[in-house]
Amino acid sequence: MAVKKFQRIAIANRGEVAVRIIRACQDMGLETVLLHSEPDVQTRAYRMADKKICIGSAPTSESYLNIQANITGALAGGADAIHPGFGFLSENADFAEACEKAGLVFIGPSPKSTRTLGDKVKCKELAKSLELPLVPGYEGEDQSVETLLREAEKIGYPVIIKAAAGGGGRGMKVLRNSQEARDLIESAQRESQSAFGSSKVFLEKYLDRAKHIEFQIFGDATGRVIHLQDRECSVQRRHQKIIEEALSPSLAPDMRRKMGEAAILIASKAGYKGAGTVEFLLQDGQFYLLEVNTRLQVEHPVTEMVMGIDLVKAQILTAQGEPVFPESQMLMPRGHSIECRIYAENPYLGGVPSTGLLGKVEWPEGPGRRFEYGFEEGDEITSYYDPMIAKVIVWDESRSRAIQKTKRVLRDSIVFGVSTNIPYLLEILSHPEFVQGTMTTRFIDKNFSEPLKLPELSTAEKQFAENCLRKTSSRQVESSVSNSQSPWQTYWRGV
Amino acid sequence: MSNTSQMIKGQLWVHFEGRTFIYESPSQKKFGKKGAGKAMSGEILAPMPGKVTKLLKQVGDAVKAGDVVLVMEAMKMEYTLKADVAGQIETLACKVGDQVALGKLLVKIHESKS
Repeated sequence: MAVKKFQRIAIANRGEVAVRIIRACQDMGLETVLLHSEPDVQTRAYRMADKKICIGSAPTSESYLNIQANITGALAGGADAIHPGFGFLSENADFAEACEKAGLVFIGPSPKSTRTLGDKVKCKELAKSLELPLVPGYEGEDQSVETLLREAEKIGYPVIIKAAAGGGGRGMKVLRNSQEARDLIESAQRESQSAFGSSKVFLEKYLDRAKHIEFQIFGDATGRVIHLQDRECSVQRRHQKIIEEALSPSLAPDMRRKMGEAAILIASKAGYKGAGTVEFLLQDGQFYLLEVNTRLQVEHPVTEMVMGIDLVKAQILTAQGEPVFPESQMLMPRGHSIECRIYAENPYLGGVPSTGLLGKVEWPEGPGRRFEYGFEEGDEITSYYDPMIAKVIVWDESRSRAIQKTKRVLRDSIVFGVSTNIPYLLEILSHPEFVQGTMTTRFIDKNFSEPLKLPELSTAEKQFAENCLRKTSSRQVESSVSNSQSPWQTYWRGV
Repeated sequence: MSNTSQMIKGQLWVHFEGRTFIYESPSQKKFGKKGAGKAMSGEILAPMPGKVTKLLKQVGDAVKAGDVVLVMEAMKMEYTLKADVAGQIETLACKVGDQVALGKLLVKIHESKS
């Protein structure tokens, strides 16, 4: 295999994942070009990238989902490869193909494997031919609401509807009966169109006490596919993952071996190259293949923490035709890792998005603590994009220690200016079902369907706040007289 | 443990012993609270900034409490907004495609007396 080293990599993404990719490039001595939307000039990735090229306005269809704008930007920036991150165009085979045509290396699987595995319908056909267990469902071409309703009836409620082109919970709904099914199907089609540019959906029997377990797979430049152990992501709300961990606390060695073999089998058959994830549901001792995500996953850091690897670096090396994970390396999982997704939302109002100007942001650094974030003080969180503003990742020797440490880290994390789900994460981490590791994908529905109650302020909290208020008022008077250097004045212009 | 605070757009953000909160001093008089205003019965306010993607009712339509009146999208997720009372749609203060601010009055329902 010929090795072709890159000089400069274009990043077709934003937020914390853009920062993550820039870091990997910096570690490898590569230059970066950030392809960004108009408002995203005030982000951490923008400040870190060597070159930046504006590819369009705020709406994703005008910028991050616009194939031609990304290609033109990457070429103008002198990049030889494009890293798509996750979401946006990362699982779009047309984009991968357009890159190749333009002489750019797409860092990810070939368009052919993406078309086979990334299209959830084709992926199921392949799985069926390999006799892998699947959840019963409908994945036909006829996408009329009438047909979908009839098929849902046939499968038997509850039924889950999903975007064929998507992931990450967008366009996903549970249909519990025929009355509400029509509205939910239409809503799923609209969400799917808006998030992925295709309204195609499919149906599946909804397993109501299943665990979500996935295997990190990796295909190297020679065609060898391995798995890098598993993750559990059962803590989900509206099918969006909130807390992930590696390894899963729910797998006996025999089950882990069988699922790992299934993951490798389907990926090898599709000639998979690079990082990917095979998702499963596990219920009553039976596992079912759910889907394959043909990209880096949001929760990839927990795998990196327990395996001691850098998946983004491995993706870039593979795209260059270089070897990764030599057998002599003896990759073995060590300890336990937990990731919490920090969403800009108000946990006391049932999780409605919270937008605005970020104030002070502080992450409590320390051994076995990792913070992936895309925004800093003075940056604006807008309603155009995903509410995930950061990820907090913790490693410790055992699961119980990792839980304890995660709680401490979250309590010491400071985000001002927008509300976050940190109080909600703390409640989840203390729940007996989570502590025991017995949670299923219905965990949040069952235990946290109501908004959190806003606790009364304690005397100590009030006292501290009153003191701060007094100091702030006096400081404000002073600053208005003498200090014109305050960063706030600069940031507030144009807000 | 770093206890700290910061005034942002007239609101005091406080982090104290593991908890972040916005502090409103009882000693300070509030003129017109920022953010979401309190909805009167029969009013639907935007619970977040975002885009109106679907209107299911028109002026004059009868609604029951709990009926979905419109759908909004923010941060790539859909949120359905429902009527809190039974009655008739009196005003629709938005149309599909509108980008609306937090707390904006979207719909007014004339409550039917029963």
